[in-house]
Amino acid sequence: MIRILHRLPLLILLSGLAALMMLIPASYASATGHPAIARNFFYASLLILVFCGLIGLATIANPRPQRSRAMLLTMMGVFGFLPLLLALPFAESLPDTGYLNAWWEMVSSLTTTGASLYSADLLPLPLHLWRAMTGWMGGFFILVAAVAILAPLRVGGFEIMSSPYGRQEYLQKLPLSADPRRQVSHLSDPAYETRQSDAGARLTRAALAVGPLYLTLTLALWVGLLLLGDPSFLALTRAMGTLSTSGISPVIGPPGEVSGKAGEMLVFVFLIPALSRRFWPGGGELRATENLREDPELRMAILLVVLVATILFLRHFLGAIEIEDAEPDALVLRDLGNGLSALWGVTFNALSYLTTTGWNSVDWQGARAWSGLTAPGLILAGLAMMGGGIATTAGGVKLLRVYALARHGQREMERIIHPSSVSGGGRIARRLRREGAYLSFIFFMLFAMSIAGVVALVSIHAIEFETATILSIAALTNTGPLAGAIPLTPTFEGSAGIASAPWEGWSGLPSFTKGVLAGAMILGRIETLAVLALFSPEFWRR
Amino acid sequence: MKIIICGAGQVGWQIARHLSGERNDVTVIDNNPELIRRATDALDVQGVTGFASHPDVLDRAGARDADLIIAATHSDEVNMVTCQVAHSVFQVPRKIARLRSGAYLDAIYSDLYRTEHLPIDVVISPEREVALAALQRLSAPSTFDVETFMDGKIQLLGIDLEPDCPALNTPLRQLTELFSSLRAIVAGVRRDGRLFAPEAGDQLFAHDQIYVFSHSDDVARTLDIFGKPAQKQERVAIIGAGNVGLAVAQTLEARADRIRAKLIERDRSRAEHAADRLERTIVLNGDGLSAELLDEAGVPQADAVLAVTDDDKTNILASVRAKQAGAKMAIALINDPTLVPLMAALDIDAYINPRATTVSTILRHIRHGRVRDIYSIGDAEAEVMEAQVLSTSPMSGRAIRDIEFPEGALLGAVRKGDKVIRPMADTRIEEGDIVLIFALTKDVPEVERLLQVSIDFF
Repeated sequence: MIRILHRLPLLILLSGLAALMMLIPASYASATGHPAIARNFFYASLLILVFCGLIGLATIANPRPQRSRAMLLTMMGVFGFLPLLLALPFAESLPDTGYLNAWWEMVSSLTTTGASLYSADLLPLPLHLWRAMTGWMGGFFILVAAVAILAPLRVGGFEIMSSPYGRQEYLQKLPLSADPRRQVSHLSDPAYETRQSDAGARLTRAALAVGPLYLTLTLALWVGLLLLGDPSFLALTRAMGTLSTSGISPVIGPPGEVSGKAGEMLVFVFLIPALSRRFWPGGGELRATENLREDPELRMAILLVVLVATILFLRHFLGAIEIEDAEPDALVLRDLGNGLSALWGVTFNALSYLTTTGWNSVDWQGARAWSGLTAPGLILAGLAMMGGGIATTAGGVKLLRVYALARHGQREMERIIHPSSVSGGGRIARRLRREGAYLSFIFFMLFAMSIAGVVALVSIHAIEFETATILSIAALTNTGPLAGAIPLTPTFEGSAGIASAPWEGWSGLPSFTKGVLAGAMILGRIETLAVLALFSPEFWRR
Repeated sequence: MKIIICGAGQVGWQIARHLSGERNDVTVIDNNPELIRRATDALDVQGVTGFASHPDVLDRAGARDADLIIAATHSDEVNMVTCQVAHSVFQVPRKIARLRSGAYLDAIYSDLYRTEHLPIDVVISPEREVALAALQRLSAPSTFDVETFMDGKIQLLGIDLEPDCPALNTPLRQLTELFSSLRAIVAGVRRDGRLFAPEAGDQLFAHDQIYVFSHSDDVARTLDIFGKPAQKQERVAIIGAGNVGLAVAQTLEARADRIRAKLIERDRSRAEHAADRLERTIVLNGDGLSAELLDEAGVPQADAVLAVTDDDKTNILASVRAKQAGAKMAIALINDPTLVPLMAALDIDAYINPRATTVSTILRHIRHGRVRDIYSIGDAEAEVMEAQVLSTSPMSGRAIRDIEFPEGALLGAVRKGDKVIRPMADTRIEEGDIVLIFALTKDVPEVERLLQVSIDFF
């Protein structure tokens, strides 16, 4: 059975899996008294399973070896095409929304962006469950695909740590692609082309390694939130949204609305796995240091969170000196407890946006007032662009790249004083500073250019520039809730039906803009570099 | 005593030279026939050409009745296997191996060299010895030679006397009376290239090189009296990040007084290797002879420059260049003893001779028994021996004035229990005392007879 499944194209396999997952919201809907929605999910599931079966039968007899490079295309398909299927029951259940909007919603969920066209209180619960599950599956897929697909191709952050030219480039100038590769002849022997190196098998192996942990962590957070008093459904979606860093929630409020600060602290802990691949199985080549304490990504994350928290916290005191009695709520906030609450709010939000999840703390509103900055949300946008750990569910530029660039900058400063100095730190630190920084810079520029490109495309329609910028950043960094955290001028050019929430910034956009932003989400998820690899002529030449 | 020396490289050669000079039966093994031919030509040794760790080669060298094997080939692994073979096949009683790689020298793994594991009695690391010597030299910047004895309580200082030294032209007896509380003794004087042990009536002249035993607490005062005020060193530049340079830099980093060291290395990967192991020290990559790089390393302001590359000429030239640039002091590593007379002409303040340090270390281990320490001075001109007085010794129970020391020998210090005292004519030497004796090479056998410890004591 397993061997037969292995011969199916990956996209068909995943579609079938998605169809099976639809049975969960179907049963939930029928249990909670939404028979129409239950029917929609059930029929969609049946339909997709039948079609998958037919196409599967047609392709199974003539299996084509799945090459790593083609897998990149498959990944693209997963994020672009699969939402078409996932959107079927969604579009059916919200008849006035239109298929495009349903697809958009599913792309946003699957890429763990978590931006929503709809007002949370107007959407039926089974649809919320489906959104959360889609985000959760998307997070799982990227965790698996990072090691199974991106790692062998040396994209998606793996290029920084591994030598991309099949040689030791120690002390050599960077792009050496003109020279012949160092041949390790025994590796091209047919005996090494085993099932183990097949892309499908690799995906299965990675999934079996990551799956149990992913599931366990989700269950643990669910139970933990339940114990702290969250309603069961809310706790489950929160758990899914946290682990996948999608930030999808069925209510408008912050995660600690019911469970309080304790609940937020629990969520805070479960956000940490999105800071480094260290916490997940696989991707051992990304470990820059032996022990956890010196991990550059974690250190960078701690530094950033502490920095942001301190700045926003201290900003208040600076503001207080400037205008001693002008602040109307200064009296309330001068109280120490409120100050600590504000500090917590800032810290939680900093980590939440750094991991590109996008939850807002219960104390965030107070923290905003405390800091006295009119739009500290911009800092959050900056954090989201830094992103979480490489090969995790987080989006953005990724911490390791930021770290490599920072170390490179520090090194260049040293070299101003001592031009011929040599810096230590070990082989990996040196690689990060040189080739790592070089590749990070390429990525960073590509990222900056994609922001510019997306902003330009979004601005074609009558959308305010600030709005366009924030929406583009939110889409590219897969941090959907960012748009809600910053006061924007909403657009009312389009609609997503009666349940839509145009004041959140997304659903009022014209269809073209929505399409562009969906593309940006996929681009941000797969990473620009990998997508560019698809466009190189060599990729298509066989 | 029958001794086998494996490897006729620099260290092997010098040990062979030293030991064959003491009428030992020395056999040298090397796989380079040319080296063997030259060794048998120049030294009173036998030669065997072959791979040192091969049992048949060792057999030909006479390992069956050898008393000692010294493995000093350039490969650590060959040295280890040689000792193992010598132990397991030929039951050679004592085995000394030179191991250079720091990984093998780590104290955590010292258990490895037990008889049941890897039977090496003494592990010698020339680089480490030289690094220690370099550090000693750095700690006493105004001397040309430094060595510690009696667990660090006594220091031997080699001092160049300048014309403005206040102690010139005074009989030593008078100096002793003048500074009666100073625990220091002039043990040797080199005048016009000739080394001798001074009598009480002798005077010191300008441009003499003297060797002084001083109590560690009195070093600063001693130097002051001989016109060499102590100065603190803060900026140090090291040229060459080989094992020696790296070890020196690491030790400087570990010290409490924050010495700012800069390390220059020509080979990029070696420089990176060094940079990985150092934290505060700045490692520069480039030619240690380039004026530009010396400038970058702050040599013009440096308190001391240490040239410890593996090339003598580079070391000498770098030291000269550093001195010209304005460095206060230059120390060079010199392998070739024939270059030593150049030091004064080139204004190089001090030199480190790996040969002397390594040979000292090895001799220390060969003359086992009650001789605790041996230091070879100059080009094997004299030796300083630290030894325990046995009951059988002719010295035991007699006052110093009654002991028949040979002309070229001088008692530098006596340690009774925990107390180190300056020997006076009426000091009585007891059994169990530890004595420090300076002896010219020709008088070493006589001194050994006094100590009742002959070379084949064990």
